[in-house]
Amino acid sequence: MANVLLRYTNLVLVTLFILSLLSFLLAYLFPGQALENLTGLRLNELSELQNSQIKYSVDNNIFVQYWHYVGELFSGNWGVSFNTGLPLYEDVGRYLPASIELSSYALLLSFFIGLPLGFIAALRHHKLTDYSLLSVSLLGYSIPVFWLALIMILVFSLQLGWFPLSGRISLLFEIPSITGFILIDILLSDLIDKQSAFIDALRHLILPTVSIAVVTTTMIFRITRRSVIETLNSEFILAAYARGLTPTQVLMRHGVRNALIPILPLLAMQFPTLLTNAMIVESIFSWPGIGNWLIQAIYQQDYPAIRAGMLAVSVLVVIFTMSIDLIIRLTDPRRRRAERAAI
Amino acid sequence: MQQSSLYQEEHHPSPLQYTWMEFKNNHIAVAGLFCFAFFLIITVFCPLLAPFDPNMQQTGDLMIPPAWDPNGGISHVFGTDALGRDLLSRIIYGCRMTFGISLLLVIVAMLLGVGLGALAGMSRGFRSSFLNHTLDSIQAIPTLLIAIIIIAILGPGLVNSMWAIALALIPQFMHQTRDFVRHELSKEYIMAAKLDGASKTHIFAHSILPNMGEMLVVQATLALSISILDISALGFLKLGAQAPSSELGAMLLEGIDVAYIAPWTIALPGGALFMMIISINLVGDGLRSALRNRLLH
Repeated sequence: MANVLLRYTNLVLVTLFILSLLSFLLAYLFPGQALENLTGLRLNELSELQNSQIKYSVDNNIFVQYWHYVGELFSGNWGVSFNTGLPLYEDVGRYLPASIELSSYALLLSFFIGLPLGFIAALRHHKLTDYSLLSVSLLGYSIPVFWLALIMILVFSLQLGWFPLSGRISLLFEIPSITGFILIDILLSDLIDKQSAFIDALRHLILPTVSIAVVTTTMIFRITRRSVIETLNSEFILAAYARGLTPTQVLMRHGVRNALIPILPLLAMQFPTLLTNAMIVESIFSWPGIGNWLIQAIYQQDYPAIRAGMLAVSVLVVIFTMSIDLIIRLTDPRRRRAERAAI
Repeated sequence: MQQSSLYQEEHHPSPLQYTWMEFKNNHIAVAGLFCFAFFLIITVFCPLLAPFDPNMQQTGDLMIPPAWDPNGGISHVFGTDALGRDLLSRIIYGCRMTFGISLLLVIVAMLLGVGLGALAGMSRGFRSSFLNHTLDSIQAIPTLLIAIIIIAILGPGLVNSMWAIALALIPQFMHQTRDFVRHELSKEYIMAAKLDGASKTHIFAHSILPNMGEMLVVQATLALSISILDISALGFLKLGAQAPSSELGAMLLEGIDVAYIAPWTIALPGGALFMMIISINLVGDGLRSALRNRLLH
C-alpha cells in the first residue's frame, strides 16, 4: 500500500515536472520574444527597474531561468494576458471551474443513464432490447458533437424557444463568485430571487450538458454492457448458480460488483475525450469556460494565455487520471496496472 | 462455382475466410461496408461526380432550398449556400477532403505508431519504460489541447492541423502494438523462433507482424473515425481548414451565419459527416465482433 502510494506520488511529480518544463519551453517555441511570452508584458511597457530585474533572470542560462519560472508559478504569478492585461492566474481560476462544472454534470448524467441501460442490454443479450439499444448507441457515438450542439440550438432555442441560446446565466442576475460553480454559488448567495436565478442557470445548463453527455453516455453504455456480459459468462457465476442461488441473487451478490470494476478505468480514459467535447461545446454556447477562453486566445495570438491554459488543463487531467488509477490499484489487488477497457 | 465437391476432402477455411463469413452474417455491418465503399468512390472520383465547381459562385442563385422543398430546383439538388455555391458539389469535394485526409493521417500514424510500439514492446529496461511513460502522458492530454498548442506554434491552417491530429493518433497505435507484442512474445511459437536463432527484427517481421494485421485494421477504423471528428472539429473552430475551403467542418461554420433562414446549409454537411462516421463505426464494430465470434468456433 505505502509502496503503491509512493510510486504514484513519484509518477505524478515526474509528470508535473515534464509538463512545467514543456510549458516553459513553449514560450521559446511560440512566435515572438520568449520574455514577452512568459510575462505577457510587452518589452517597451516594462519599467526600467523591472526590466533590469527580469533581464537578469533571462540572461542566465536556461536552467536558472526554468528555476525562476517554477518559483513564479508557485507564487501564483503566471504573467498577464496580452489582450486584456489581466493576471492569468485569476483568469484561469475563474474559467476552469466553469468547465469543470459543465463536464462533471455531463459525466454524472451519462453515468445515471449509461450504467442502467448497459445492465439492461447485457441482461437481455442477443435479444431485441439489446440490439436496439446497441444500434442507438452507435448513432450516439458517431454524431459529431458540434453538429449535435448546432442542431439542438436550431430546434430547442430557435424553433421552440424552450432554452436560452448561449451563456451561463441571464445578465439580470449578479451572482457573487465564491466557489466558481454557479449552482453552488447561487445556493450560497443571499439573493432575494434565489429560486428564479437557480432555474435560469439550470435552463442555461441543459443544452450544453446534454450535447456533451450524448457521446459519453454511449461510451459508458457500451463498456458497461461488455463488462457485464463478460462477467456473467465467467465461471464463478456458474458456481453461484450451482449453489442454487436465484438469478437475482447471483446478479446482486456476484455480478454487479465484479462488473463494475472495469468501469472505473473507463472514467479515467473518457476524461480527455469529455474535456475535448466540453471545449468545443463551450465555444458554441459561449460558455465562459477554459475551452472557450483558450480558443479565443488562439484567435488573438495571446501566447501567455495559451501557455497558462495548457498547463492548467493538462495538470488537471493528469491529477484526475492518476487518482483514478490509484483508486483502482488500491481497491482491486488483482490488477497490477490499469488496463484499457474494451468497448 | 461448383457447389458440391466430388471428393471427400474436407475444406478448412483460413482465419481470414472465417472472419469474412462471420462479418457477412451481420447485415448492418455489410451495409456499413457498402457505405464506406461509397465514400471511398466519392473520394477518388469526385471531379467526375460533382456537377459544379465547388467554389463557383452563382450570384443569381443565393440560398436556393434543396430539391425536395417546394421552392427548390432540380439543377441544385442540395440547394445552394449564402454565396450561391452548389451545396452538392461542395459536399462531394468536402467528403474527399475530410475523408481522404483522415485516411492519409491514419496510414501515417499507423506506420509511425506501429514502429514505435514495436520498439517499446520488444525492448526491455530503461528504453521501454521511458517510451511507456512518455506515451501515457501524451495520451492523457486531450487531442484538442495538443492541436491548440501545435497551431499556436505553427499558425492555423489545414496542414498544421494535420500534424496535430497525426501526433494525437500515434499513441493509440503505439499502445495497442506494444500490448500485442508483449502478449505474443510470451507465446511458444516465438520461443521456437528464438531457439532457431532468429534475431529480434526477424521475430518481429516474420512472426509477430503477420499476426497483427487484424488488430491493426480494427484499430485503424477507430482511429479513422476519431481523425474525421477531429479534423472537422478543428475546421469548425477556424483552427484547421480555412473559410473558402470545402472541408465539411469549415462548411458548417460558414452555415451558422444563415442557419436560421437556410438550415440545410448546416444540416446537409453535418449529415454527410455523420453518415461517414457511422459507416466507419459500423464496419469497425462488425469486424470486432466477427473477430471475437470467430475465436469461439
